[in-house]
Amino acid sequence: MTTPARLLRGVAGTSRDRLAGIVLVLVATIMASEAVRTLPIGSMASPGPGYLPLATAAALGGLGLLIAMRGGGPTLAALAWTEARHALLLLGGCAFAAAALNTLGYRLTMFLLVGFFLGIVERKHPLAALAWALGLSLGSFYLFSDLLLVALPRDAWVF
Amino acid sequence: MSGFLRIILVVAALATFPSRTLQAQGTYPTRPITMIVPFPPGGVADQTGRPVAAAMEKILKQPVVVSNRPGAGGAVGMSLAANAKPDGYTILMALSSISIIPEADKLFGRQPTYRMDQLAPVALVTADPTVLMVRADSPWKTVKDFVEDARKRPGEISFSSSGIYGTLHMAMEMFAHSAGIKLKHVPFSGAGPAMTALLGNHVQAFASGPSVVLPQIQAGKLRPLAVWGDKRVAALPDVPTFKELGFKDVEFYIWSGLFAPAGTPEPIMKTLRDTMRMVVADPDFKSAMEKLQTPVDYRDAPEFKEFWDKDAAELARAVQRVGRIEGAQ
Amino acid sequence: MTETLQNLYLGFSVALSPEVLVFAIIGCVVGTLVGMLPGVGPLAGISLLLPATFGLQPTTAIVLLAGIYYGAMYGGSTTSILMRIPGKAASVMTSIDGYAMTLKGRAGPALTIAAVGSFIAGTLSVAFLMLLAPLLASFALRFGPPEYFALLTLGLLVLAFLTGGSMPKTLSMAAFGLFLGTIGIDLMSGFFRYHYGIVELSDGIGIVPVAVGLFGVSEILLTAGQDKAPAVQKPKLKDLPPSRQEWRDSTWPIGRGTVLGFLIGIIPGSAHIISSFVSYALERRISRNPDKFGKGAIEGVAGPESANNSAACGAFVPMLALGVPSGPITAVMMAALMVHGIAPGPLLMEQQPQLFWGFIASMYVGNLVLLILNLPLVGLFVNMLRIPYAYLYPSILMFCVLGVYAVNESLIDVWVMTAMGALGYVLRKFEFEVAPIVLGLVLSPMLENALRQSLSMSSGSYAIFVNRPIAVTMLAIAAFLLLLSFLPLLRRGVASSRAQLGLES
Repeated sequence: MTTPARLLRGVAGTSRDRLAGIVLVLVATIMASEAVRTLPIGSMASPGPGYLPLATAAALGGLGLLIAMRGGGPTLAALAWTEARHALLLLGGCAFAAAALNTLGYRLTMFLLVGFFLGIVERKHPLAALAWALGLSLGSFYLFSDLLLVALPRDAWVF
Repeated sequence: MSGFLRIILVVAALATFPSRTLQAQGTYPTRPITMIVPFPPGGVADQTGRPVAAAMEKILKQPVVVSNRPGAGGAVGMSLAANAKPDGYTILMALSSISIIPEADKLFGRQPTYRMDQLAPVALVTADPTVLMVRADSPWKTVKDFVEDARKRPGEISFSSSGIYGTLHMAMEMFAHSAGIKLKHVPFSGAGPAMTALLGNHVQAFASGPSVVLPQIQAGKLRPLAVWGDKRVAALPDVPTFKELGFKDVEFYIWSGLFAPAGTPEPIMKTLRDTMRMVVADPDFKSAMEKLQTPVDYRDAPEFKEFWDKDAAELARAVQRVGRIEGAQ
Repeated sequence: MTETLQNLYLGFSVALSPEVLVFAIIGCVVGTLVGMLPGVGPLAGISLLLPATFGLQPTTAIVLLAGIYYGAMYGGSTTSILMRIPGKAASVMTSIDGYAMTLKGRAGPALTIAAVGSFIAGTLSVAFLMLLAPLLASFALRFGPPEYFALLTLGLLVLAFLTGGSMPKTLSMAAFGLFLGTIGIDLMSGFFRYHYGIVELSDGIGIVPVAVGLFGVSEILLTAGQDKAPAVQKPKLKDLPPSRQEWRDSTWPIGRGTVLGFLIGIIPGSAHIISSFVSYALERRISRNPDKFGKGAIEGVAGPESANNSAACGAFVPMLALGVPSGPITAVMMAALMVHGIAPGPLLMEQQPQLFWGFIASMYVGNLVLLILNLPLVGLFVNMLRIPYAYLYPSILMFCVLGVYAVNESLIDVWVMTAMGALGYVLRKFEFEVAPIVLGLVLSPMLENALRQSLSMSSGSYAIFVNRPIAVTMLAIAAFLLLLSFLPLLRRGVASSRAQLGLES
């Protein structure tokens, strides 16, 4: 099948603003349909809980359309995505932290997070990475948990 | 989803114990107790919870750590306590709203965040009757004036509340229902903004706990018309109760009480109940409550259970009467 | 006037007594610290020390808590300027031009101006508070839901001047922000909106996770993977103080920010959050070269930083003069007084002159302490930029996660931050501004509630906005401003409207 490939090439060749506008219209459509599906809209004189969500969705859709119709800018492929791989790694790091904080505890999670980026992504000297990651995770834990009494998740192990 | 969420909540609750690896040995309590306050610091539950915790510490000889877990009108903290391990090391200081949230969930067909039978009452600590307030420059001098005027123009006199289905809203709803009048409800996000709206003459009436409005009464800005309680409030001896005025079933308190997760072993429940009996007699606790001008209304578990059941049924009816509100009015 | 001086003398005799003075300094230090740490913020700091105040004298207690509050306003700019992480909504605008200045090697002047601006705004607004509190308080009470709605509509219009990019893009981001703000429980009906079974979402999407994600995380995503790591800065001592030109450029923004912030601050409700947005937009609007903004304009730091400090002080007006809380922070401070058996109300000034004037005087003292405390810190913080970026960015990421988690101790917030980081990255690649999202998010619940409360009050009639003098005046100003910004479009015709809208074809 060549359709997905052609679609992909089509997306890559679309101008930046046009694509953004189309995405905004799509997002607005989902927002609006969810508002209509789950919430009473009310009326002008008596707006219900779905009134503002629907109104903002309509505004977003309209503006998205305007951007899509008039917009230009470089094509998607022409945008430099050199940092994308790194960005995905970093987002993965955030997601890992969100997922692991409660099971691994704060100190271990942050040690792994900082250690991973320093030791593996940035290829710093293992000892330097270790010291930095250890110092940061333990130091910030002490500051926030012991001094500021923020209930940071503790780990199941003695670490 | 709720199963997963429950696991998260239980893990979070467990994580708040500083040293949960220690095995409980000997008689309860052998390690610190966490008191969950499902509201932010400085709120009514917090102001009552902290003196209670301080007095409990003295009696139990173990730290009682207050943990504020606000969110979703108290639902977050309450479900945390409801789903905690019933071992007496997690207790909950809750307000009347504990009975409203499951009822509102039912009204909207939502998966309830907790059930009331997941929590066992330990003791009622305070009960503060609400007071009907109007502006001092309003034409209403008595409840009779107010009701007569409201009958003449149904749905025109407005009142503010701390939020829809909130305690202050429910109190007004009970009164309006009993008096057979229709009032206009304008919800605000808390008791403070609701009082500000009355002071600024944007609404005409407001139900409130007595301590917050006393300075406004002294300054001649607001006028109390009646009290929701069984008897008059000490600080407002001239203000009649609704019961005196012939509104028999209009009784409402903003109360605070201590709860433990259901299934907490009987000996531990007994220790907690005995502790609470001593807490309310503690001089430091008494002076703290006096300063807050909050009347202590101690009731042991059986009487508290009876009080709670009656209150919850009353609130459930009020919530159902209000029903779902789809527009702004 | 002599009476005021006498009272002030009484106040200073209280504020300069050793016990009160020590606690004022402790409050300022703690406040600066919690303000600097993303996520902890003044409310958390105050809540933290609240139980400790129960054992203190009421005056000492309130001085300590107030110190934390305005100390946090000073500290809040640090991470915004150095790392583009706004720790709270009030410092979102500072992170735009403040961080741009850091990139140009002008972090020192940005931090100095932020501290000096905060000091001037703090001191002047305490003077306003002292002289005008009773007068302003009765004016502030006249702000009911309709007036609030009009004010916020006016606030929404500043969007047009908030950023320099294309108008439809800016507005679409604001619409998206307004939409995000509708997630969670609906105050007026009790409906849960778009929560999909997640209890934490019923409180709505937090401002801090969104701001940190859109600004802080997206910045790391864009920078960390670049082929060439950002150069390590070696700040020299002579680069720390602002240049003569920078001082001159900051003078009027600080003055305007102070007055604007104070006026917005006295209104009960949470409108003071928008003071820094409005100040930024104002400075950009009246600037002779608005294109400078976003690229390191010192006015964009001086104005908003002064405005948020001044608003923080203005927020005390309703509390001290009327006994009504103007937001969550003043509510906690009132609770702290109630624990001591003092119920703040209209008679506070007469019944507790020592407390009232001691508090006022301590704010003068506190602001001075904060200035002395913060200026040397500038040198210290700027030196953090010497850390190589490879070490810096994992650390910043960790502090983002930590700070966001610390606000509510909620993992949902960390997920929100992650999603907003990804969104912010893509949006900035597509040249969308992210600040309007935050403003929309801040405004949305206030605007919606004000509108629906007003309509409740009037039983559905829009005449309520016309019949009330303050509301109608503000709406007229809003309409006038709107007309003013569209006028060039009409005059020059469609051809240039595209350029005006920022859409080159």
